[in-house]
Order: sequence, then C-alpha cells, then structure tokens
Amino acid sequence: MHLTTRAYKAPRVIAGIIASLLPLIAGAAGTPAGTVIENQAVVNFELAGTPLTRSSNVTSLRVAERIDVVASLQSPQLLAAAGDADRALLFTITNTGNGTESYGLAIDNTVGGDDFDPVAAVPAIYFDSDASGDLTAADQPYTAGVNDPVLAADASVDIFLVNSIPVSAANGEIGRTQLTVSSLTGVGAAGTVYAGSGEGGVDAVNGSSTGQALAVGEYIVSDIQLNVVKTQIISDPFGGTEPVPGATITYTITIEVVGSGTATGATFRDEIPTYSSYLADSISLNGGALSDLADADAGEYDTTAVPSIVMRLGDLTLADGVQTIEFQVSID
Amino acid sequence: MSEFKFVISALMFGALALASGTTSAQERDHLEVVTTVQKEITVETDDGSQETRLVAAESVVPGERVVYTIKFRNVGQEPAENVVITNPIAQTLTYVAGSAAGADLEVEFSVDGGQSFARAEQLRVVDNGIERPATTIDYTHVRWVMQSELAVGSEGQAQFAAVLE
Repeated sequence: MHLTTRAYKAPRVIAGIIASLLPLIAGAAGTPAGTVIENQAVVNFELAGTPLTRSSNVTSLRVAERIDVVASLQSPQLLAAAGDADRALLFTITNTGNGTESYGLAIDNTVGGDDFDPVAAVPAIYFDSDASGDLTAADQPYTAGVNDPVLAADASVDIFLVNSIPVSAANGEIGRTQLTVSSLTGVGAAGTVYAGSGEGGVDAVNGSSTGQALAVGEYIVSDIQLNVVKTQIISDPFGGTEPVPGATITYTITIEVVGSGTATGATFRDEIPTYSSYLADSISLNGGALSDLADADAGEYDTTAVPSIVMRLGDLTLADGVQTIEFQVSID
Repeated sequence: MSEFKFVISALMFGALALASGTTSAQERDHLEVVTTVQKEITVETDDGSQETRLVAAESVVPGERVVYTIKFRNVGQEPAENVVITNPIAQTLTYVAGSAAGADLEVEFSVDGGQSFARAEQLRVVDNGIERPATTIDYTHVRWVMQSELAVGSEGQAQFAAVLE
C-alpha cells in the first residue's frame, strides 16, 4: 500500500542534483591502482633473405590512484512537521576512483536557497549499519577520525543525516541539509598529486571530483498528516471467516487528514496480494461504487504493472473528513 | 696437479666462449629498437590558453592518454628488408582511433592476440555469436609494415596513443 502526495513544491533541485551526478558515475573506477603495464615492441626484418627478430627494451607504467567520490541523495523530499526530532535523510557514498580510499564526513545546514536551517542532531551522521534504509537503533553513529568509512574502488556505503525541524518553521517552508564527503588523502584541483599516498604506496591524484563530493537533502514542513488504516474481513464459502480458496476478502482503507494545510494530488495505490484476484466492480469511495476502468471517476483497477487499485483523492484538507476506500479480492 | 690444470683451462675456455659470444652478438645486432612511453598533460600557457604536452610517464591514472614511440635504426652493414614492427596493446589500454602513425609505414591491427593482422576497416570480431566490425577496444596488437627497405644507417619511428581504462 502506497500513498503519495505532491506537496507544495516539486523537488526540482533534487532531480537536478541526481542528473548532474550521472556522468561522474558513468566514469567510475577503471584499472586498479598499482597495476603495472609493461610494453615491448618487436621488429621482424630480413637481411639478404634471412628472417631476423629484434626486441626493444621494456617500458613500465605504474597505475596511480585516482581519487574520486560521488555522494547522492536517496531519500525523496521529506515531509516533516515543525518540532519533529531525528528526521533522517539517506545518502549513498560511492568510491568512483580506482583504489581504496578513506573519507571524512561532515554536515552543513547553512546551505542557501531554503527557508529555514534544520538543526543537526547529536550525533548527526549515522551509518545505515543494518542496511534497512531507515534510521534504526542498530545504526552506528559516525565519529570523525574514529570510524571514517574506508571504501574499495567501486564500493559504496549508505549514511544518514539526522536533523530536527525548528518549531518556528512554517507550513510549506523548505530546509536543506548538506553532506560533504572528503578524501582523507587530499582534496584539490583535478591533477593534484600526493606522492606515495595512494593504495599500496603508488602516487594518488585528484580526479575530476577533486576528492570531494557534496549532496543536498530537503525537508518540507507540512502541518498536514495523512493517517492511513487498512482492515480486512474474510468471508469463506461455508459461511465462516477462514482464508481458504474461494473466500472473499473485503479490504477497507480509511485515510484521515490531520492538521492544517492541503495535501495536493493525494493518490492511493494498493497492490492486489499474490494468490488472490481482484473481484470486478468492487471498488468504492465513501460508499459510492466506481468503475474498474481508467476514466473520469476517481478509482480504477490498474493492470499495467502489478495489478493494483488506484484512487486519485485530489486535494485533501481537514474539511474533507475521513476518506473510505473499499475493494474485494477472492483467494485463488 | 693435473686435475687443477684442467679446472683452470676449463675456466679459461668458458671466459673465451663468453667473450666471443658477446662479440658475435654485437656483429649480428643489425637493428636497434628503443621504446619510450609518454603521457599527455594539459598545461595552461602564459596567455591563458590550454596546451597539450607530452611528458615522460612513470605513473598514469585511468582516463589519461599515453603515447608509445618505437624508434628503430639500422646499425648493420646491409639494408634491412620487410621490416615489420609489432607492439601489443595491454588489456588495460584502449587504442586511440587514428593515432598509429609513422613515415613510410602501413598500419595494421590484430583482434586475435597477434595471430592475424588487417587494416582497421577490414577487421571483424564475433561477439555472442554475431559478427560485427571491430572497434578499438577489440585491438590486441598494432603493427607497422615498412613499405621500403631500411637503408644502412637510417632510422624510422612508429607511434600510437592509448587511453588507460
């Protein structure tokens, strides 16, 4: 079950950042640092009809470490309420260089272009230690100089920036938080050389990323919250409530608007569970039956991908009251 | 006593053999071949424009362009005929299209580890059972076929560029 709203402003900035990172990602890694490339030419020739061969000297090139890193925001623009604590945004850091590299991490909430500054939690940076994508009790905090991430070429790590939202932030305002990832070998213009500081003692050289990567995440204050509750009633062919083949499940979803403001373009989508089939013409919204077709009414049975119920609720405010969606499936 | 003499004579014979070997190798060394490798760097000149220069290369990073130069000279007493210079292209290097050059040299490539050679436009490879024209990534060797004999005392030069993957 999935509920989306287009709230206030489209997150164009985030899309722009991700798009601009793609060329860097495409140019990742390459020949591992420390690789030795030898070359020897051979000349074949004839002297008075006698074939002879001569080899050249052997030249040797050592592949130095190119320091490159990319940071990218994984979370969408995060809806938050004024006064919220510990709201986490997920970022991925990828070593796009060709050798193992350590990185220092920093958070900056004074970036421009926003309406308020989120307040960094203490600590403010966590590893997604359990790879859940959500900030959990298992996630380890980051401490500079203690557990700086060490990434092999092409490897990546997920981290969170954790902030609270000031109580003064008003509905619809945006606050930005920035992650800075810096190579601990060095940050400098492309081509800057750190003699002997690369993996295995080769030279390290700053690549086009300058050894540093920035990524910005956004919070948007929304006084409005949507509370969604889903219940089910099973009715089997024998008058009971056992989930046996042939039984019908009636799902009821209630969506309640809490707080002030408008949730623009709220859309509800719910996948039909596996081993069950949607019962034709069973969708209703607030007691009124809707057709299964994608037409003028708010609901439809969408089979273009995973079979799903889709309900376009439009702009919702507190005044709209509880929205009730119902549909039925039969167990296969 | 006689045993001791034998050892000495054997040593002397060995030394003589070594000396004569060296001499005859020098006599037979008709062609000198020297390879150097450089890399391209972009520098800003005093007037602010960018200029590409070649510098000696000991270390390179992925994306950099290296240039191999093979110089050969006939140091013998007779002209060398059918001179062919062959150079492998390391797996981590990608040949730069059109970069192989040399006066009086015709350039050919191999896509089968040096078994066979042909001009760039004639090369084909089989990829997942489908034949297609070869691209620079497929090249395993480059060779230069000299179109005339290399006269006594004269020299030539072959060159190609490649990008480190």
